[in-house]
Amino acid sequence: MNTAESGVAVADLAAVPSRSGSLHRLVRQAADRYPDRPAVTAPDGALSYAELDRRADALAGQLAGLGVGRGDRVVIWTEKSCAAIVAMQAVLRLGAAYVPLDGATPVARAGLVARNCAARAVCVPTERLAPITAELGGTVGYVDIELDALGAGEPDRYDQPVGPDELAYILYTSGSTGVPKGVCITHRNARSFVDWAVAELDVRPDDRLANHAPLTFDLSVLDIYAAFAAGASVHLVSKELAYAPTQLVEFLRSQRISIWYSVPSVLTLMMRSGGLLDEPAPDVLRVVLFAGEPFPIPHVRRLARWTSARLLNLYGPTETNVCTYHEVQPADLTRDRPVPIGRASCGDVVWAVRPDGSRAELGEEGELLVDGPTVMAGYWGREPHRGTYPTGDVVRVLADGAYDYVGRRDHMVKVRGHRIELGEIEATLNAHPDVHDAAVVVTGDGMYANLEAFVVPVEGRSPGVLGLKRHSAQSLPTYMIVDRVHLVPELPRTRNGKVDRAKLAALGGEPVMQNVS
Amino acid sequence: MSQDLVTDRLIDFIRERFLAGDPNGELTVETPLLEWGVLDSLNTAVLLTHIRDEMGITISPVHINGRNFATVASIAALITSIPVVSAS
Repeated sequence: MNTAESGVAVADLAAVPSRSGSLHRLVRQAADRYPDRPAVTAPDGALSYAELDRRADALAGQLAGLGVGRGDRVVIWTEKSCAAIVAMQAVLRLGAAYVPLDGATPVARAGLVARNCAARAVCVPTERLAPITAELGGTVGYVDIELDALGAGEPDRYDQPVGPDELAYILYTSGSTGVPKGVCITHRNARSFVDWAVAELDVRPDDRLANHAPLTFDLSVLDIYAAFAAGASVHLVSKELAYAPTQLVEFLRSQRISIWYSVPSVLTLMMRSGGLLDEPAPDVLRVVLFAGEPFPIPHVRRLARWTSARLLNLYGPTETNVCTYHEVQPADLTRDRPVPIGRASCGDVVWAVRPDGSRAELGEEGELLVDGPTVMAGYWGREPHRGTYPTGDVVRVLADGAYDYVGRRDHMVKVRGHRIELGEIEATLNAHPDVHDAAVVVTGDGMYANLEAFVVPVEGRSPGVLGLKRHSAQSLPTYMIVDRVHLVPELPRTRNGKVDRAKLAALGGEPVMQNVS
Repeated sequence: MSQDLVTDRLIDFIRERFLAGDPNGELTVETPLLEWGVLDSLNTAVLLTHIRDEMGITISPVHINGRNFATVASIAALITSIPVVSAS
């Protein structure tokens, strides 16, 4: 990597490169040991480890032909698919880092991310070749990743040794100033988490892991790489199926999933509307993991009555992957508060501090700080991150080094597990020519959370919800596009002049378009 | 059901349910529903329930993908290609 392009210190190429500690080594090892075992199933097909290994080499060869090499970035812009997984492995095999983008990402945002991280190449399905080429021109290389485009035959093998502090992938998340931030994750970061998860969950070759989360979301790292580390299989849930309750329950049963991982609201949806509890729990289901938002105890209780599977709450911002965990115990089922986030995992150290920086004691609240091997290298293009990471999450100190989640220090919110900076949505709406001012709040909760915008239009204009969605889609991921729009003459303010979000939240809830013109 | 009728019913439902009535009349059969966040994952689930309950058509998981749900036109084409099993 050229450090002039990025402040992130990942250029320590003098460190002894190795294959064993790298993320891409996992598939090669599994392919050597279990060539015929299933590796991935997805809407576009299924791959054994031998097939995944061969296709990753074939695609790596194409990327190498475009000049992709160690320290480069490659954007992968596609639906959840076998092809996406192949592309991720191909990029890693060259010693480069992949940057996954959801298939529904608008071309303008895909271009913005590719330019932001100075991508060397972009991997897309056939139909996106023309739009992304028009967006980015000749500055990057393009590869068609449709599975049948990879052909047959024996490709050259690619297995670039990398140092533990070189980048494996970059996940773009919402930024408070209106610009997305690229969270840089190294091989050490990723392997610390994956190796911990494989040991803690005792993942075995006959396990079948569901992948519910988008590939842009760090929950997917466990599904994919814990499976690969153990020679188990990962079963991708398509984006369109992700909140269809009966289909999800059918998926869990028909795919004989043994390890399920999703945000709690999806499990609640499956219990409430998908009939999950109507039939006995499948015997093969042995671990249910959840993360990303608090899981209310009444729902956990129903889940625990239904299945004897281990139930684990994982916690961590994208910047630290997973840094704490808690396994649900019978005693937890009678508490009032949601499941604790628990104690440190993955070799990390966590503690809570009071506003003055001193350490919070038992029973007190404080901001959770994290240090250890899972803490990111930094945000792309900014100063490298070193040392302790302040999560921005307020926790309460429990006994034995465990913590309860209390809330956020800032305006970051979670909607169905996606973390969102309201300021980024507001900045986008404010850039619309018909918008004079805008504020966004979250109404409802869990599965039924909505992003509601309160918009003060430019005089004489009345922007419609579809027009504002279209505008937002130019620069925001779909989960940050507002659900409802209210046109208002002015935004309510608190005494110190800030937008009164509590008042707006109380006004929301009804999809009313008020015409003030 | 003819494709035109299905199209009209889908447009009506999406306007009322997801676009606050679409007072500016912006929704068309070619509006990119997934890309513009009209059909986020949750709304897709709501729409599937509507298609099942109001049109008597259950769409198999294998057909629930980005291509088939890209626009009103593609959803209508999918629905009219599926034989109605139960007319309840």
